[in-house]
Amino acid sequence: MKVPGKTTSQIAIYAAVCIAILLVPLVLDDAFLLNKYARYLVFGMLAVSLSLSWGYAGILNLGQAMTFGLGSYCMAMALKLKTIPVHTGSDGLPDFMVWNNVTELPWFWIPFHSLAFGVAAGILVPVALAALLGWFVFKGRVTGVYAAIITLAAMVVVQLLIIDQQRFTGGFNGITDLAQFEVAGFAFDAYGSSSYYLVAGCLAVTLFLALFITKSKTGLILQAIRDQEDRVRFFGYDVALYKIFVFSVSAGIAGLAGMLYTIVMEFASPTFLGVPLSLSVVIWVAVGGRQSLLGAMLGALVVTGVQGALSESETFLETWTLVMGLLFVLVVLFLPKGLAGAFEKIAARFERTPPGAVAESTAPRSEPIKSGREIEGVS
Amino acid sequence: MKNHRRSFLKGTAALGTMSLVGFPHIWSKNYSLARAADGEIKVGVLFSLTGTTAIIEESLNKATILAIEEINAAGGINGMQIVPVIEDPASDPATFAEKARKLVLSDKCVSVFGSYTSASRKAVLPVFEKQNNLYWYPTLYEGRECSKNVIYTGAVPNQQQDDFVPWLVEKFGKRWYLIGSNYIYPKEENNYCKKLLAELGAEVVAEEYVPLGHSEFSSVINKLKSEKPNVIFSTVVGDSVVALHRQYHAAGLDPQTMPMASLTTSENEVAAMGGAAAAGHFTSAPYFMVWDSPENHKFVDAYKKRWGADKVTHFVSEPSYFQVYLFKQAVAKLAESDIDPNTIREAVKGEGLVAPQGKIKVEPENLHTWLWPKIGQCKADGQFEILKQSADWLEPSPYKAYPNQLCTATGLQES
Repeated sequence: MKVPGKTTSQIAIYAAVCIAILLVPLVLDDAFLLNKYARYLVFGMLAVSLSLSWGYAGILNLGQAMTFGLGSYCMAMALKLKTIPVHTGSDGLPDFMVWNNVTELPWFWIPFHSLAFGVAAGILVPVALAALLGWFVFKGRVTGVYAAIITLAAMVVVQLLIIDQQRFTGGFNGITDLAQFEVAGFAFDAYGSSSYYLVAGCLAVTLFLALFITKSKTGLILQAIRDQEDRVRFFGYDVALYKIFVFSVSAGIAGLAGMLYTIVMEFASPTFLGVPLSLSVVIWVAVGGRQSLLGAMLGALVVTGVQGALSESETFLETWTLVMGLLFVLVVLFLPKGLAGAFEKIAARFERTPPGAVAESTAPRSEPIKSGREIEGVS
Repeated sequence: MKNHRRSFLKGTAALGTMSLVGFPHIWSKNYSLARAADGEIKVGVLFSLTGTTAIIEESLNKATILAIEEINAAGGINGMQIVPVIEDPASDPATFAEKARKLVLSDKCVSVFGSYTSASRKAVLPVFEKQNNLYWYPTLYEGRECSKNVIYTGAVPNQQQDDFVPWLVEKFGKRWYLIGSNYIYPKEENNYCKKLLAELGAEVVAEEYVPLGHSEFSSVINKLKSEKPNVIFSTVVGDSVVALHRQYHAAGLDPQTMPMASLTTSENEVAAMGGAAAAGHFTSAPYFMVWDSPENHKFVDAYKKRWGADKVTHFVSEPSYFQVYLFKQAVAKLAESDIDPNTIREAVKGEGLVAPQGKIKVEPENLHTWLWPKIGQCKADGQFEILKQSADWLEPSPYKAYPNQLCTATGLQES
């Protein structure tokens, strides 16, 4: 009885947040702010993707930006081929290829003439790569910090490849000077409400998709794997398969976020696959609360929002990185479950205050959790 | 007591009225159209104060601020003060793009002075082109860009190489070793260098690119020892410059017979590697700190006075400084109600002044700058000795290596 009740209220909260996000352009008519908030929402989506694999399956992916960046490059390649090459004017070749004395469009660029292919690739390439990487890591029963290191290393390899193969990727400068994202004649203006709605809509869909996965049987098994991997394996489940699944879904969401990022930022850069961004995602999720999809998303919005505000204020121009660092330390020390954990605590306190029936009904719920923890501590 | 309260009330009322008058944009919807309001002109200053390129970009930020302060202290532009909005893009292209948007869309700056790396320029370019604003870029770069939204005050390949390469061939010989960091700037410089070398009948014995940030040059040093080129043409950037010079020095190679000729080694890099490792090598640039002119003495003195006696000026901080004065001259020609990025661009075309390096002017066709190339040899004290200055100022041609392309006021023309 309890669990569905909790699920309903959870869905209500998620829906309320999504609607609030979707309503923003109605009260806000500022090209700069819409663009900025759309950018933050993309980060929110990226945080959701990591929360899914880290918070729900215990896979700490330090290379989440790899799939994000690949999505971003797929979109940039498709949009690049749509530009009139104003800076070169040579046979439809992207400008940086002309600079690198490339005379013919490389074979893997050719399908990107179709935007639909670009969009599909932006999701499928990250998914395929994650599945392949996951196959080696999880079939080999690599766990914990070693899996985290492998994801980080894989990302650095992809980033180095992109920087090094500048004839095909634009190298260090990335892919710039892109066309607008256009579907059926409708152009999404990076500074208008259309792009904002696109990002917010995608975010809402991913949030609910992720929520659906965590509520499904698969989601429960994943959480069991997170808490006690061997026990799940002894029950006869193929642990690796479940892990590969969630790792790939997480990569697909990150790839989608990367594509939206290119639309909002109007370029793709190898820094999108960089270690700083990738570790930032971990921080957002940790601040927001990794075991809550919504918490992780809000964590990203709060951290990037505060970061933007601090670095823009004159008072903190010199010290904003220091202030950010201090805030992280405080959160980690005092809110180990992040902002979501803090909210839950406050909510629990409110629930407990009315005496009688309500208090009784909450009491037994907390007990099994407690005993569960004790077992975990023993084993 | 009573008096105090009354004066407090008066003061509050006065403050209230003042803020109403002082911030009319809260009340007037057309504020966004009036770019210069209340005797103030807002400009953006976009150099990284944190992150990997912070050290060099901070010096550009300082040179820009110095010029703005000087202009304001001297009465501003037609009585209007320049108000700099300083942002820290943290050496990250995405943050560059975000901050550029803020400066252009939210702060409504009429121009933005900024950036060092090509990657960051490329990241902000769509913002300035789509919003039709103006970006002032002080860094030497690879050319091959033709944007009506950027004023380029740094050197392009022809301005650094046209005098330098023939001079080196005549003085040292025809066997050249090209080494650069692996990105677009060194490749373009080398494209142009090879063209010049071919005309001079010289030979490229090797062309090598190392990853950005590379610091292990022992294999390069070995190749240098076996190939024995006459000139090492270096477009290595950043920390790699320091590593290359130090390892060259440690290997006991001799700058007198096999000098490095660099387009990127300034007083700033020399300060990082130490004078001993840099001594004897050559750099071509339009500006060196030791250049003897009244304008330069004034600039160097003011810079040291404002930011510290140990600070150096170099060939990127000098354009950062004089481009603010170019901005001033352009804006001074305009009526207050006319000041916007479009009119500033039209006004700056052909505008010139005597900069620390000599008399410069903005080429109306491609918005690049006529400059005075110089050849300097580094000494052990970390400063350069200027051996040669070009006889005349040199035209900027960002497409010189590609004769069928020409950057004009209407855009890129192909023939």
